[in-house]
Amino acid sequence: MSFPILSLLILTPIIGALTLSLSSSTQLKNKTIFLSGLWITTGEFLLSLLLPIFYDKSKNGYQFIEFHTWFDKFDINYYVGVDGVSIPLILLTTFLVPICLLCSINSIQNRAKEFVIYFLLLESFIIGVFVSIDLVIFYVFFEAVLIPMFLIIGIWGGENRLYATFKFFLYTLAGSVLMLLAIIYIISKVKSGNIELISDFTFDHQIELVLFLCFFASFAIKVPMFPFHTWLPDAHVQAPTSGSVILAGVLLKLGAYGFIRLSLPFFEYASIYFQPMIFALSCVAIVYTSIVALRQLDMKKMIAYSSVAHMGFVTIGIFTLTQDGINGAYFQMISHGIVSAALFLIVGVVYERHHTRMISDYSGVTNVMPKYSFFFMVFMLSSVGLPGTSGFVGEFLVIMSTISVNVYLTFFTAIGVILGASYMLLLYKNINFGDLKSDIKQLADLTNIEIFYFSCLAFLTMLLGIYPKLLFEMINKSISLSII
Amino acid sequence: MINLYQFIPEIFILSLILITLCFGLFNKDRAISLNTLGFILLSILLLNYGKDFYSSTQLSLNTINLFVLSKIILCIGSIVFILLLKRPLKNENLYRYEYVLFILFAILGSFVLISSNNFLTAFIGLELQSLSLYLMAAFNTKNLFSNEAGIKYFSLGALSSGFLLFGISMIYYDTGSFSIQNLDNFTAISEIGLSLVLISLFFKVSAAPFHIWTPDVYEGSPTISTLFFATLPKFASLIFLFRVYQELNIFNIKSLNYIFQMVCAISLLVGVYGAITQKVIKRLLAFSSINHIGFMLLGIMSYQFMSEGTLFFYLIIYLITTFGIFAVLLNLRTVDGEFTKISQLNGLRFTSNSKSISMLVFFFSLAGIPPFAGFFAKFFILSASINDGFIMLSIIAVLSSVIAAFYYLTIIKNMFFNKSEIELLDDNNKTGKVIFISFGLIITLFFIYPDPLINLVDNLFK
Repeated sequence: MSFPILSLLILTPIIGALTLSLSSSTQLKNKTIFLSGLWITTGEFLLSLLLPIFYDKSKNGYQFIEFHTWFDKFDINYYVGVDGVSIPLILLTTFLVPICLLCSINSIQNRAKEFVIYFLLLESFIIGVFVSIDLVIFYVFFEAVLIPMFLIIGIWGGENRLYATFKFFLYTLAGSVLMLLAIIYIISKVKSGNIELISDFTFDHQIELVLFLCFFASFAIKVPMFPFHTWLPDAHVQAPTSGSVILAGVLLKLGAYGFIRLSLPFFEYASIYFQPMIFALSCVAIVYTSIVALRQLDMKKMIAYSSVAHMGFVTIGIFTLTQDGINGAYFQMISHGIVSAALFLIVGVVYERHHTRMISDYSGVTNVMPKYSFFFMVFMLSSVGLPGTSGFVGEFLVIMSTISVNVYLTFFTAIGVILGASYMLLLYKNINFGDLKSDIKQLADLTNIEIFYFSCLAFLTMLLGIYPKLLFEMINKSISLSII
Repeated sequence: MINLYQFIPEIFILSLILITLCFGLFNKDRAISLNTLGFILLSILLLNYGKDFYSSTQLSLNTINLFVLSKIILCIGSIVFILLLKRPLKNENLYRYEYVLFILFAILGSFVLISSNNFLTAFIGLELQSLSLYLMAAFNTKNLFSNEAGIKYFSLGALSSGFLLFGISMIYYDTGSFSIQNLDNFTAISEIGLSLVLISLFFKVSAAPFHIWTPDVYEGSPTISTLFFATLPKFASLIFLFRVYQELNIFNIKSLNYIFQMVCAISLLVGVYGAITQKVIKRLLAFSSINHIGFMLLGIMSYQFMSEGTLFFYLIIYLITTFGIFAVLLNLRTVDGEFTKISQLNGLRFTSNSKSISMLVFFFSLAGIPPFAGFFAKFFILSASINDGFIMLSIIAVLSSVIAAFYYLTIIKNMFFNKSEIELLDDNNKTGKVIFISFGLIITLFFIYPDPLINLVDNLFK
């Protein structure tokens, strides 16, 4: 297919943002701006639906390839294409961005135009990361994501937003500059930035270890893995709801995607060499952050810590280096993208009405907001990993695949599941059940818009939980190629 | 027989100086705009016939291209500068045509410096350039800080000229020649002499640890002079430094190479650590320029891997960004005078769209974050240096750019997140506005489509 669908996917939001920025802001109402943003992103979503429809699952390698020379001299090319690993993540992105805009129509009152513009730019940069198969443009998009996110947290965040957004930006930048050095080194050795060519290249073992660590620094911070996770709770707590949604839903996946797409195929020896380290860090992440999550007083912080724990499953799954493990990890990524996004929206709903995120300020919400409690329960159970929801499939596959690698690992991951159930249930109980507090009596139940996007998310969770083959069909072949 | 052909650019500027001197007595506005025209003419001349000027010399084609390209850049820079200077000078009651003369002399000095093949000529060029700079620093005679800056700059600059002369005389003592080329048989004495020459040049480009003058002079001088210090003379000195490095094969001289690497590393680090705590924007820019000098030195050192291209790409992007930032700063004024503190930028987002967004572009570009051209500038320098084996310096460079990102972000934070406390007056300077908006666009466009710039650099170095 010669139709440049991937470039169109990258360019549509940028063009939308440009047209919005050129329109004079005084004449437009907030609602009009959000609506035009919604139109653009919905169009983008429909456009991205073409990818799974026209994607040929029986073929190996990348499809919808576009190739343009960018720098002759340095052999840097605009080279994009997708395979089974990238398509679901692109869909997840295009699906979540309209929801982000929908949920902030009421909460973002000032500077709405800028908000929509940054979100559109963010969307196109994220899609850029997922479609690039040249290292340099991968890096370019990977870094560019930081700018709109920095502004979103910094402008519309909570009271301590400056600290959070600086921490987020500098942490991520520090990791990715090391990756930049590694990328430059690789390009100077292989004489090309093409991901497929680099996968075939074998490095000197010692050098490979160093290069792996450079990439690891960047992706581990992005995922985030255990010692590098401290930016995440801060960023989540301070970010506006929509920022948290996109952060938990998609940005964290960039790191895991990097592991699958780059680290595994490039550094086969190093991936095996560092397997124990990553397992150890992930186990600590799962158990430690789950315990930390148990003791949180702030809802958003609790869900942020639970994200770290869930992403621990993902890194374990990826580095089992088995088909099942990576499949499970990937499934967990998508599932976590939907569920944690939904949970942040859930928090956002009550925060918008009651202006506090403290768990102790809520109790008996189910009496006044029955629909809310229903959706909360669906996502809570999915996060816990109840069979029939998407959370189950990923966790199950990851735990299963760890048995073949290391039984102790299975033990720790299973503990993580139990702890996960306990903190999520505790959160649910504290907020929804108990005595009805007097000051939350006047809380209104979900509006139609909220019901709409929650049911979309709930439908997806159930669909993936009941019929996981839908996703596996897509990713199986591509993942089997990236395993050693 | 001396062929006067190769001096045409210098003679051109000299006649421009004479014309301005005479004409300025009657009509300073015309005299100043005449210079714009003169520089446009000169750059067209250089673009078309530049290579023919030097065809009678025995220089290699590469060197000739280097001369022509850097002179064209100086001309274009001067055009932009002369377009910018009118309003800021008027605001300070400094609008006199002598100011343009200083620029012309400094550019003349830079021209001589760039194309000199002889240490003595280089010294004359450098002195001509520096003396004009001292005067420009002290141009605001009623302001104490400006006077202080001028005196500081002068006394330290004189010291460094002393070093330069001493170094040159040691080289002459040892080899019996002032020539930059064909300096083959090195002994310890000419090595020491050369290191003194290098120190003096490091001082001129304000590389650490010879940077002490930079923040004070930047802060004290009128902002428009600061813009000049930060860009064109520094560019010329850097080109000369590059030529010295290349012609003398400093790469092969262990001790000097070591000095070079140390200065590069120290500049990278001093630049970022000095800038973190600064509250005055010009001081911050001074330190940030020291950090960038570190990157440029890295580019000079790794010349084996297509350095001219990478170095020029970096320099051009750096010049454009610096011009852009200063064009914005020159357009801002507070009620009680010139705009100095970073905190005065607070809330710029709400008062001016174009300024704040251009500043965002410039500072992210300086920080080397895509999608702005500064990213590729840094990328090329780093790939050249990694290819040449300067791994440790590259690591220092990228880590320093992370720290640098912190203070660039602080400025963006002030503009975008904070509410404004004081009222900023908009100068409504149309020329300035056109310049910073177009430079912001150029910085973005060179990222997406850098071919024109790369081809320009490439063709000249074929």
